Amino acid sequence: MGDTDLVDFAVDYARTKGAAYAEARYEQHFREAFILKNGVVDFVENSEDEGIGVRVLAGGSLGFSCTNTLTKAEVRGIVDGAVRTAKATKRKDPIVFAPEPAVTSNWSVPEGKKLVDVPVEDKIAAVQDIDKAVMGLKYKIPGRFYTTTCLRLVKYFANSEGSRIGSYSPRVRFHHYLTLLKGGDAEQSYRNYGWSGGWEALDAWKLEDRVLEEARTCMNGLEHGTKSPEGRMDLIVGPPVAGIMAHESCGHPTEADRVLGREASLAGKSFITPQSLGMKVGSEAVTVVDDPTVEHAIAYYLYDDEGVRARRRYLYKGGLVNELLQNRESASSFKTRSNGASRATNYDREPIPRMANTFVEPGSWTPEEMIEGVKHGIWMKTYMEWNIDDKRFNGKYVGREAYLIENGEVKGPVRKTVVELTTPMVWGSVDAVGNDLDLMEAGFCGKSDPTQSLDACLGGPSMRLRGVRLR
Amino acid sequence: MEDYASQIVKAAVKQGAQDAVVEVAVDRSHQIRFSRNEPVIANRWRKTTASVFLAVDQRVVAGEVSNFSKIPERIGALIKSARAAPKNSGYRGIAKGPFKYGRASLDRKITSLEDGADYVEAAVNGALEEGAKETAGSFWRSHEAHYLETSNGVSAEDERAHVYLSLRALVSLDSSGHGVSCATKLSQFDPEKAGHKAGRIAALAKNPKGGKPGTYDILFDPLIFGSLLDQVGARASAWLVDAGLSPFAKQLGKKVASAAFTLYDDGTADTLGHRRFDAEGVPVRKKAIVEKGVLKTYLHNTSTAKKAKVKSTANAGLIAPEPFALVCQPGDWTRDEMFKEVKDGLWLTNTWYTRFQSYVTGDFSTIPRDGIFRIKNGEIAEVWKDVRLTDNLLGVFKRIKALSNKTEQVMWWYEVTTPTIAPYALATKVGITKSAM
Repeated sequence: MGDTDLVDFAVDYARTKGAAYAEARYEQHFREAFILKNGVVDFVENSEDEGIGVRVLAGGSLGFSCTNTLTKAEVRGIVDGAVRTAKATKRKDPIVFAPEPAVTSNWSVPEGKKLVDVPVEDKIAAVQDIDKAVMGLKYKIPGRFYTTTCLRLVKYFANSEGSRIGSYSPRVRFHHYLTLLKGGDAEQSYRNYGWSGGWEALDAWKLEDRVLEEARTCMNGLEHGTKSPEGRMDLIVGPPVAGIMAHESCGHPTEADRVLGREASLAGKSFITPQSLGMKVGSEAVTVVDDPTVEHAIAYYLYDDEGVRARRRYLYKGGLVNELLQNRESASSFKTRSNGASRATNYDREPIPRMANTFVEPGSWTPEEMIEGVKHGIWMKTYMEWNIDDKRFNGKYVGREAYLIENGEVKGPVRKTVVELTTPMVWGSVDAVGNDLDLMEAGFCGKSDPTQSLDACLGGPSMRLRGVRLR
Repeated sequence: MEDYASQIVKAAVKQGAQDAVVEVAVDRSHQIRFSRNEPVIANRWRKTTASVFLAVDQRVVAGEVSNFSKIPERIGALIKSARAAPKNSGYRGIAKGPFKYGRASLDRKITSLEDGADYVEAAVNGALEEGAKETAGSFWRSHEAHYLETSNGVSAEDERAHVYLSLRALVSLDSSGHGVSCATKLSQFDPEKAGHKAGRIAALAKNPKGGKPGTYDILFDPLIFGSLLDQVGARASAWLVDAGLSPFAKQLGKKVASAAFTLYDDGTADTLGHRRFDAEGVPVRKKAIVEKGVLKTYLHNTSTAKKAKVKSTANAGLIAPEPFALVCQPGDWTRDEMFKEVKDGLWLTNTWYTRFQSYVTGDFSTIPRDGIFRIKNGEIAEVWKDVRLTDNLLGVFKRIKALSNKTEQVMWWYEVTTPTIAPYALATKVGITKSAM
């Protein structure tokens, strides 16, 4: 019996065991990765993981089970387990899924330079060349840590309503830490890039230029950086900063399962409640979207892990809470429809509402035009330390590359600008959004139990905030 | 399953590996997640996977194997990847066995446990009885068997099982508490107590007001102190030190904490991290990472140890050394004495989202969550919300003034990833910041 046959069998068998709804997902992950640490290839990873996960609705409760032993007997065993434990959970308020049409589809991501066609030695050599270029700067960089990951993800989804969806999704991730020293002072930088597609990712990112620029700006900060001024002033944030703000202060609080309390003991709840649609959270300039259909952004997909068609979600629109990220379970509670946000990290996890590519919708301003309008302020292009509380109301972003702006002109570098603001303060202060959309920045978004760390795009356009308190 | 481990090692050696380490893990765990006082999903795992580490002519490759019908092809792919890589000049080999191990410790009442709904119900009811309106969390019955085989004479087995419950109780969005229960013996499992603790903190935390930035003496509950200990344990890995991702570089033998503070890694301790051997098969043992405030050792595998000209601390993970169970030596203070010692400070019960500006300097911040209490003259004077702890990791540990004489085992999600035995801790002059409005 082939793997897709086993998936179909799992769904049919679950129905015979009394499941009101059943879905099964086969996933095969080919992972090739390597770490280049201080000029030495520490190790190469070559992994292949495949298996089937089954989720059922039975007796008003959800049951999930998975296996990587791909036999009919084993699949029968996990279905039995999922149905039995779902029925045994003693839930009083039955779980219902919002309706969806059956879908048959097969989609894939365009892959310029196929990952399987590029030998690992060539991939390693490309990163070694970047490291050599960094060392060519002749700075003191005792910590150089580069992680490169190529993932080829094959999926086949089926449910008891007739959906049958196959997909192939290649992805490339690159992240690095650089630790630079000057005198007795240290500056550390972390950047993370993601691409859905093939090895053309490195060209698309202009990776060497980006890493070199990171090293140069670190050293510039060490050599010339001054203490960032304190007080109320204007702030221009670069695409990575706008990206993390969109992720933390818009994407997470609009996850419907979080709003309902399903994540309360983990990633927390949200300042947004089920009654918050239409609530003002920002200026009219602020529209934040989550869009899985942006080609080549790291979290690209066309159907989610419940077989629902993906689309652009307008989470904040014109400064108002507009839409939540829904899966079929949460959508039913909100008496709405799923908007295709349900994802799992692998066959061994349940799908839940997740962000994909979350970003501030670009405006018409160039960064130069935004700077011209600032009398006294900070241009914070990148960040290092960041965090936000579990209701997504109090965020902090500490500058890595940042500059003083005086009378519309960029002056010298400033160090460790602290942006510690409430979510309404961040979005309410935005008066201009840039046209410089950059969606190459990526991150690992954590949620759920057991943990599900998922690819997320953390890019965006530049953005100007007026009169915020910095230190 | 030991056959799979043996087959993979043999296949790897046959295809040219000088060093081969294979650990087959059989996972038969189950979990119930709950929210709004009701179960939301029951999860079950039936997974058998092999973690493989190979060295081929000083080139290192690692990977997972999940389809055991393809062992020769998978090992071929791993060997090919290794040969494509340049030599790792820092690689120094794996441990030479065989070794003698302590007896496996397993409670069959846990492995035979089929359900957990009653434990969830007990924990939820415990929290509701204290005044909580809403609860969410997870119950786990973890059961794993491990079969380790190496090309250097190691053949070992272990079976590990535990029960765990984590519960967050809420009276409102801003008034919450968290409790956990960890046990390797079913008779010691007390989810109801965890529910009561979470509910009690949530009820105490009603009607909070915004906090005030400054420096405060902080009394850390074991759960939040566990988060800070987790950072110390993880950053003590020689691999992270070497990568420039630790504040402990060049700190061996130096003062990194208060003299009151001693931290062990101890895989032999009766914790959720208990095991017989590390990922190379070396028998785990207790060792002080920090003793009376002085950094005594990094955590090593055989390779990092040889490079540093010391012995392995038996902390091998597949690639990097890691802690297995952190045990903070208790102090001689009672909890009540510690509260009385706080004249003007805070009692923090939990935190999350710990992030560093620089791992080298240790400058970080973390966001207290659940009950945040202003303490004046040993009594709760106010309930706070919306503050952030902003300080330096080593700085906080150097300012530890007191540790309680009783400890708790804690583990929680991304924040306390290593099972940890933690006391209450009192540190002075800790930085607190808050958002500008």
